[in-house]
Amino acid sequence: MADFLSQYSIQRWLEMCPQGYLEDTVYGHEEGLAEPDDIMGDEDLRVASIALTVQLIAGERCALAASSGLVNAAPDDASKTFLATQTLDEARHVEIFTKRLVDLGVRKEDVNSTVDELANPNLVKFAEVLLEKVADGDFIAGVVGQNIVLEGMAFSVFELLEATSKDLNPKFAQTLSGTIADERRHVGFGENRIGSLIREHPERREDIERMQSEMTYHMLATFADVFSASGDSMDRGRQLAADHGELDGADMKWHGTDLATASTEDMEAVLANTVLGEFKTRLGRIGLEYRSPKVPA
Amino acid sequence: MRPRPDRDAEPHLLAEEDFLREVHSFDFWFEAVSGYLEEQPFGHDPDLVETPMDDVARDSLITTLCNYCVGETAALEASSGLVRLAPNHHSRVFLATQVVDEARHLEVFMRRLEDLGVEDPEAEIDRRANQGLEDFRSRLLELVDRGDWDAAVFAQNVLLESMEDTVFRFHEQSADEITRQVLVGVVADERRHLGFGENDLGRRLAHDPSGRRRLAEVRAELDPLVLGSFEGVYRDLGIARQDQPELGRHYLDAVERLGLTA
Repeated sequence: MADFLSQYSIQRWLEMCPQGYLEDTVYGHEEGLAEPDDIMGDEDLRVASIALTVQLIAGERCALAASSGLVNAAPDDASKTFLATQTLDEARHVEIFTKRLVDLGVRKEDVNSTVDELANPNLVKFAEVLLEKVADGDFIAGVVGQNIVLEGMAFSVFELLEATSKDLNPKFAQTLSGTIADERRHVGFGENRIGSLIREHPERREDIERMQSEMTYHMLATFADVFSASGDSMDRGRQLAADHGELDGADMKWHGTDLATASTEDMEAVLANTVLGEFKTRLGRIGLEYRSPKVPA
Repeated sequence: MRPRPDRDAEPHLLAEEDFLREVHSFDFWFEAVSGYLEEQPFGHDPDLVETPMDDVARDSLITTLCNYCVGETAALEASSGLVRLAPNHHSRVFLATQVVDEARHLEVFMRRLEDLGVEDPEAEIDRRANQGLEDFRSRLLELVDRGDWDAAVFAQNVLLESMEDTVFRFHEQSADEITRQVLVGVVADERRHLGFGENDLGRRLAHDPSGRRRLAEVRAELDPLVLGSFEGVYRDLGIARQDQPELGRHYLDAVERLGLTA
């Protein structure tokens, strides 16, 4: 374990992240990039982009509260150290997505009220399930909830968004790219650190699998809400991109689905299937069994 | 070095809210730390060779570093607990940067212990921890756990940080070169943390006289633990009383600036 944890030192984090893939970026992207005119010049698309960004901020705020809250519960200094780097990663994510909200025209003083107003209620419940475990000082459940479930979800959501943005909105795509690199580290820590703890405490499996099921329910409900509300703006964005020739030659394939032409139902399905597949794989690696939510969303 | 947004602007000329957003950001933090962390993995020039030291000096340094680790662990646990209590976004981001700073301090001190031949630093820290410092750590975490932002920021970012600032800078003067370089990088961070604590509390107390009275009571309770810890560390460093710097002068200066004198 000590050797694996040495891979998560502050020194290594400094070299990989701020001195590595974030070098020469400002708020996670190349300096000088801006939100595209297609979004800023179309009120429906701008509002839809604000609503989407709010969900990212809500998720990252939860991750920040969870990772910082887990530092004290960590059983060893090396885990505390890793969670310290994750705390700053998550704070950076909150910062860059908040900056995007401001770039999209939300006044700084209105950021919190906008997040409160537009955060999806199911995403809020998803966060509450996790933060309850963190508040109880439950390190094993907290890390599974945070580094496997939340981060696993975020990882796939960001990948999908990056695939749809890399040709149409390089600023947002670059922001997501650095975030994905962070999430990959976080998921890796969760898998590596928790496996041994689950083996030492098999009695915890039932409670943790129940938490995973509950979080999965709220996650799927969030996906359903967000995709069902985004059909018009997605069509509008595609139309504008096609009019401007931005889809010519664009590569928007993700897990076998062409995101340039897929319906919202297809996009929701590919995202949900990808995330659930990841959950099953990652939970299996740490000795837990994926548990389906009680009511399919 | 990576650029900072609006880097041509002088932060101190910004309006208060914009100033706080600017200085309490990931970019500002990274610009602040990268100067002294680049080229110095684990806090010092990797080409430095160990200064010869006898067993007594080595043992004394190990005890001192173990107690630095106790202080840094307290700061790591408290700052991470304070993230959820932060009253606004920029304070939350600043505290997240402080969490990483404190974890780095713990890491470089523990690495230094390994360099000095300590096989299990966590166990050694438990063995050599100063009781006064452990008591202070418990009290600090109680303040965090009960969600008392003002008292916890005071105890951590004013009291603990000024104690460390004083002790580390004093230790720098007599330390071997590797330890000295490690301490220089740590002190640079501590000064940022101290600045945040004074700035945040100063603004809040300006509008809250009762808060000042309450913090004066917290201070009266924690003073003996802090000053006792100072004495303990100086003793471990083998410094005769007449040669010790005035105990906690920085701390007392900070307390005076905040109007928390008895």
